[in-house]
Amino acid sequence: MSDFVDECRQEWKRLGVADAVANEMAADLTADLQEAEADGVSAEEVLGSAVFDPRAFASSWATERGVVPDAAGPGAGQVLTAERPMRMRTLALVAALAVVAIAGVALVARVSRSVGLVGSVHRAIPKPFVGPRAGIRFPVFATHGPGSELAHGIGILLLLVVVVVGLAAATIYWSRRARPNH
Amino acid sequence: MLRGVLDLCLLAVMQEGPAYGYEMTKRLRGRGLSMVGEGSIYPLLARLERDGLVETYREGSNGGPPRKYYRASALGRATLADGAVEWRSARDSIDAVLGPFEVEVRS
Repeated sequence: MSDFVDECRQEWKRLGVADAVANEMAADLTADLQEAEADGVSAEEVLGSAVFDPRAFASSWATERGVVPDAAGPGAGQVLTAERPMRMRTLALVAALAVVAIAGVALVARVSRSVGLVGSVHRAIPKPFVGPRAGIRFPVFATHGPGSELAHGIGILLLLVVVVVGLAAATIYWSRRARPNH
Repeated sequence: MLRGVLDLCLLAVMQEGPAYGYEMTKRLRGRGLSMVGEGSIYPLLARLERDGLVETYREGSNGGPPRKYYRASALGRATLADGAVEWRSARDSIDAVLGPFEVEVRS
């Protein structure tokens, strides 16, 4: 029967039930099942069909007790919101990525602005093809120094960090959602 | 209707005295009612507690671990009284419908 109680514990943990409440329910259940066993009564006689689906049983019990996060009712005050810290962490991660992305874009944009058109040079076209004054003016851009190149590199690096961390976070998130118990 | 009746049954066996979960199961079985066939009494007890129909306290039992005892609150006793009247009325109505049918089958 410890397997049954263990499954219940896992379900309560997944639901975000406070440890103290989960321990209490597990202790009550264990004591009842042990007493039933001593009386020669099977777990099925005590729990009914719930014995075949410990997770559903655990979920139903916790929900009726009002200890599942987001469950309405007077007992909702006892709820330990395990999902709330997760949401806060997600928000913090998104905010941090946004800051890093903005910094990266700002650096890249700054370097890009410093590469401007400063003039042009005339390149004559050989006479056999055109007239004596014919030619093409090629634009001349200012070159940036080593400092600008460093800033540009840092900006690109920051953007890469955002992409990699974002992809990793998205992969973890979707892999967790894909699991049947989550 | 049945769900409410199961609640009444739990409140009724608590009238014998405070009891913990398994003890209530034994009392119900002693009266020929094996209500756990469709589910455990634990979620029902939790709902009764949440709705203020029962009060709970912890106490050791026969040297074993402390158990959670349930007893009907004043609201629970009032609910039991009202519910018993409603159940008897419903039972009589249903008997009135099913009674002739039963006679017809037997004849």
